[in-house]
Amino acid sequence: MLSNYFQSNIGLSDWLDVVSGSFLNLLPELALAITLVFLILFDLLFDKHKSIGLVLIALSGLTFVSFLLIKQWQPELAQISFFDDMLKQTNFAIVLKLLFSLAAIISVMMLATDRSSLMQRSLQSSEHLVMLMTLLLGSFFMTMTMNLVLIYLSIELVSIASYLITALLLNKKRAEAALKYLIFGAVASAFMLYGMSWLYGFTGTLQLDSDTFLAGLMEVPPMPLTLALLLTLVGLLFKLGAFPMHIWSPDVYEAAPTPVVSFFSVVPKIAAISVIFRIVQLSLNSNFDWALVLTIVSMASMVVGNFSAIWQKDVKRMLAYSSIAHAGFLLIGIIAQSETGNESMLIYAIIYAAMNYAAFWLVQLFEGISGTSEMSGWKGYGRQYPYLGVLFLITMVSLTGLPPTAGFNAKLFVFTALWESYISGGDQLLLWLFIFGLFNTVVSLFYYLKIPYLLFFKESSTLMDGQKVKVVDIFLGTILVSPLLVLFFKADWFVDLMNTVNFTF
Amino acid sequence: MAHLLSYIIFIPLIGALTIAFLPKRLDAYYKWFALAALSLSFLLSLYGVFIFDQTASGPVNGLTHLQLIEKSEWFSFSLGSLGEISADYFLGVDGLNISLLLLAALVLLIGVVSSWNMTKHLKGYFALYLLLSSSVLGCFVALDFFLFYLFFEFMLLPMYFLIGIWGGPRKEYAAIKFFLYTLLGSIFILIVMIGLYNSVVDPLKTGEAAGLVTDGLSEAAYIELVQAKLQSGEIVASDYIKSFNMIFMADSGNFVPGSFLSHSGLAQIFGQPARWMAFMALMIGFAIKLPAFPFHTWLPDAHVEAPTPISVVLAGVLLKIGGYGIIRTAYAIFPDAAFHYAWLIGFFGVFSILYGAMNALAQKDLKKLIAYSSVSHMGFVLLGLAAMTVEGVSGAIYQMFSHGLISAMLFLIAGVLYDRTHDRMIENYAGLATRLPQFAVFTSIAFFASLGLPGFSGFIAEITVFIGAFKSDMANGAIPFWMPIVAAAGLVLAAGYYLWTLQRMFFGQFWVKDKDWLSNLTDLNKREYLMLAPLVVLILMFGVYPSLLFDLINASVMSFVEHISPVGP
Repeated sequence: MLSNYFQSNIGLSDWLDVVSGSFLNLLPELALAITLVFLILFDLLFDKHKSIGLVLIALSGLTFVSFLLIKQWQPELAQISFFDDMLKQTNFAIVLKLLFSLAAIISVMMLATDRSSLMQRSLQSSEHLVMLMTLLLGSFFMTMTMNLVLIYLSIELVSIASYLITALLLNKKRAEAALKYLIFGAVASAFMLYGMSWLYGFTGTLQLDSDTFLAGLMEVPPMPLTLALLLTLVGLLFKLGAFPMHIWSPDVYEAAPTPVVSFFSVVPKIAAISVIFRIVQLSLNSNFDWALVLTIVSMASMVVGNFSAIWQKDVKRMLAYSSIAHAGFLLIGIIAQSETGNESMLIYAIIYAAMNYAAFWLVQLFEGISGTSEMSGWKGYGRQYPYLGVLFLITMVSLTGLPPTAGFNAKLFVFTALWESYISGGDQLLLWLFIFGLFNTVVSLFYYLKIPYLLFFKESSTLMDGQKVKVVDIFLGTILVSPLLVLFFKADWFVDLMNTVNFTF
Repeated sequence: MAHLLSYIIFIPLIGALTIAFLPKRLDAYYKWFALAALSLSFLLSLYGVFIFDQTASGPVNGLTHLQLIEKSEWFSFSLGSLGEISADYFLGVDGLNISLLLLAALVLLIGVVSSWNMTKHLKGYFALYLLLSSSVLGCFVALDFFLFYLFFEFMLLPMYFLIGIWGGPRKEYAAIKFFLYTLLGSIFILIVMIGLYNSVVDPLKTGEAAGLVTDGLSEAAYIELVQAKLQSGEIVASDYIKSFNMIFMADSGNFVPGSFLSHSGLAQIFGQPARWMAFMALMIGFAIKLPAFPFHTWLPDAHVEAPTPISVVLAGVLLKIGGYGIIRTAYAIFPDAAFHYAWLIGFFGVFSILYGAMNALAQKDLKKLIAYSSVSHMGFVLLGLAAMTVEGVSGAIYQMFSHGLISAMLFLIAGVLYDRTHDRMIENYAGLATRLPQFAVFTSIAFFASLGLPGFSGFIAEITVFIGAFKSDMANGAIPFWMPIVAAAGLVLAAGYYLWTLQRMFFGQFWVKDKDWLSNLTDLNKREYLMLAPLVVLILMFGVYPSLLFDLINASVMSFVEHISPVGP
């Protein structure tokens, strides 16, 4: 970046203008950073009863960030490059960032309403919220970077915050999960960095969207190119939680507090998908067979996720495996490599986020009522709390991908995109993925239905203390679950909105 | 009456919501709500049959012969490079589904009456039952594939809970087995649905998008104009509006030229023509629902574990959705493939007839026996369809209607016995006729009707299927002569297992296994009369006066056979 400055003949003041001008595109990120600082300051200045203040600061900060993001939104936005092309603002990125900040808002609300004493303690200091904001900030940058080093940095920002937030409120389980996460993550990062260094060596540039990058890749023989891109992919698959880099996720999901897990399962995952999407798009013409590699990853993720989930006894572990399987479905949109594919990937990501938040919110609620996230502890609760049970049922049906829920539309769109690519290209591989993926739905039904099964089919083994569900819980649950129905019955406005997103870089 | 079909579908749904929000202390009234809602639906569908114009004719892939049409746009959007996609809220009846709509409404109503003594979790039961009713009724009248698929899939959830909560000892196993099997089938259907809507355009909307003027043209003529322009390539791809409309899918003119599933298409999947594979996938999907050998194994489990009313609905209505789906989608959309695979379908039909009958012969559980007899009887539906003659198809529809009545009655009878003794083993009873004479009479009627005795509706259905199947060899060569001959052995077997069961359970010296049952073994009560008597009347009525139904379906069946058979009716 600085080299440009030295090579060009513009003066320092002009250069500063470029930099300060760039900040205008970064207002939401700045607002987020300021919120973060406020949180820390508040924590330092006040002594007791901080939790309400902290939550309020976080929520108002996030609302302001969302407001700024909405202001940035323009349909069919032509991309804006800034900071010497290292970052690129597209409305694809803005949609994702808006999704992320909404996710963060819900996660903060989940933190604030969690009943367990452990979590009550967690809000005594700002650590959880600060880490959450840091995660969010890193994810924001992941959606915008066009530069290999910045990709690495933003992923690390996300990762380090993730390790820390897992290890907070340490107990034995958490210590184990956090350590696994850390070691696994460090190895993955190392692989990725190594792969990136190869790419830099091949092309002489770190800039993904520069012409020299693609031209450089075209000249590389297949073997080293494959190695370099595979190594880079490893780090991204780690964040995505896809096979073969998924091993950390069940432990982390089980150990970390539910509000944090809900955030993990959505934001870094979708951010990683957006990075993979960019890299694939910008190196599509090289000798590397993205379709083959990603198809294998996608199929393996579905199989590993779905078949392992069947055996889980802990709801959060089960949802961890479910999110591994969903990573496979998310990749299908990229594999399709078409306009339809891009759009259906984004739609899938958004619906996936909605489904997962509904699911984890309900998990937290039932965890609070029953005191456990073991499925067997939830027997008969659906009869005690029929409304919440029905909400849970809708969510699980949606995760399976059956009508009348948004999960069905999401699957319909991705597989339509895949079908379209198969028809136009005639690649047998895509047909296999198509059939394979759809039949995986049948497998997934088996474990998703386990929760409604336990909630409704089984009699409760223990006498229930008749804990009242708060009206606010019912209200929030309805709000979180309703998109799953609305986006099925009236999907056109949503798809039309997604039509205005610009997927080219 | 405008929106008649919508009322029929949504009145039970409103009933379900009402029950869900009623306070618990009113739980004695839930069944009255359910009864009221389904009576209303039944009366409305009866009214629908009454005003149905039997003479209306027109090509089965056109809009002219459809009646009680309701059509409004559900969603329409463009997705990426795929172009505009639209799905309609599109309901309508013709001869192919009007009889099944009536059957469904009737059986669902009888099901409520037979749930009268339900005691466990009444609110959930009746709400789910009404939810199931809505989606079953919707399935028979939906003419848009997306809407059809919604109803088809949505039916699984209430059914899963109804079997899984109110069922017998192995209810959980049976419920999940039912769900997984049927879901597997619907994935096959979904695959074809994705393929189809990518290939088919809505001629009306596409014409509008392409700016073709309608003035002076009838709808049919306008569609023809658009199709001609579509096939000659005069309509640009950006004007295509992809459609889920099942009626349009049945018309080769609506396929985008060169598209994957188009009639001229040379596209292949796994070395086979794509249209053949698509047809086969639909057949497998619906054969699971029907069920036909080798996809039938979920049925005995589901029937044995399900509570009586749910067995009634399952056998009486849900299986017919499989048959109806084959007619409306697989055959109507892929007639070329249907002819190609006629031999195979006929073979599986015959095999199901014999295999189901032989299994029934070996059963010790009364409900399992009836379940296997259902597999056997549904084989006739496949055989009749495979023949691709007017008689064959009419017979298939007649068989579905008649089996709906008879199997409902059979399961009610099994339920009557189970209510009294909580035991269904055939070997545990003997000489019941002396103790329960009226029950014995009804059972004999049901058994004789089911084994195809002349005078009952089952006879008409099966004889028509046979006539159609025999004719096929000469008329169009779809299935060979030996198939109906072999299938006739199924009738003998049916007589065998029913008469044998009758003899074992009802005749001879009165004896029951457990002496405690004696006090409960009373003859039919009024409510049971109320469920069984109308069925007897209907079975006899359709047995001696078949034109009641044939007149209703004939015009549509004629045009259907004209559409599917290479040589016409």
